[in-house]
Amino acid sequence: MSLTETIEQRLRDSFAPDTLSVEDESEKHRGHAGYREGGESHFRVHISAPAFASMSRLERHRAVHAALGAEVMDRVHALALHIEGGASQ
Amino acid sequence: MTAQDQIKDTVTSNDVVLYMKGTKTMPQCGFSSRVAGVLNFMGVEYTDVNVLSDEEIRQGIKDYSDWPTIPQLYVKGEFVGGCDIITEMTLSGELDQLFEQKGVSYDKAAAEKIREANG
Repeated sequence: MSLTETIEQRLRDSFAPDTLSVEDESEKHRGHAGYREGGESHFRVHISAPAFASMSRLERHRAVHAALGAEVMDRVHALALHIEGGASQ
Repeated sequence: MTAQDQIKDTVTSNDVVLYMKGTKTMPQCGFSSRVAGVLNFMGVEYTDVNVLSDEEIRQGIKDYSDWPTIPQLYVKGEFVGGCDIITEMTLSGELDQLFEQKGVSYDKAAAEKIREANG
């Protein structure tokens, strides 16, 4: 399973999101710090889930970091997170 | 002094502290550059700590806040967030509110310009 798929699966399992997109943006960072051949170094995640509705910004990010786990966080050089509370309550 | 003591001392004895890769005048990472750029543009006085020059601080700051990434912004000893959070708070006006609550001076007109340019 690719790292992109692993990230998607862990976020789906943990938050049952209304919407989720995980983009591997590594190619945009070719030549910059942290880039490596084969990509999977720079990600951008958009996620919306009711689970986030009652959380502060810091709590939302911490919840995503925890769901991904240390192993994923260590492999990723950069992770841009856009987290929303979601419509269905 | 341990790294944890040193960090605590830095964030409590300075009103605004940015732990970053590089310096405020020469950032060495796009994410650090974005946050330093916002603070510079908003005319906020802050202390920059270059984690690339001290491996113990680089790891220590992640442990201190239980936050896995750099940059990290602290206001009056309190961890505010990293690049995504600071960007969102700048655009929503929450960063202005935080500075006002904490008595940190900043250029409101500059903050509005950032919002107009990204509206």
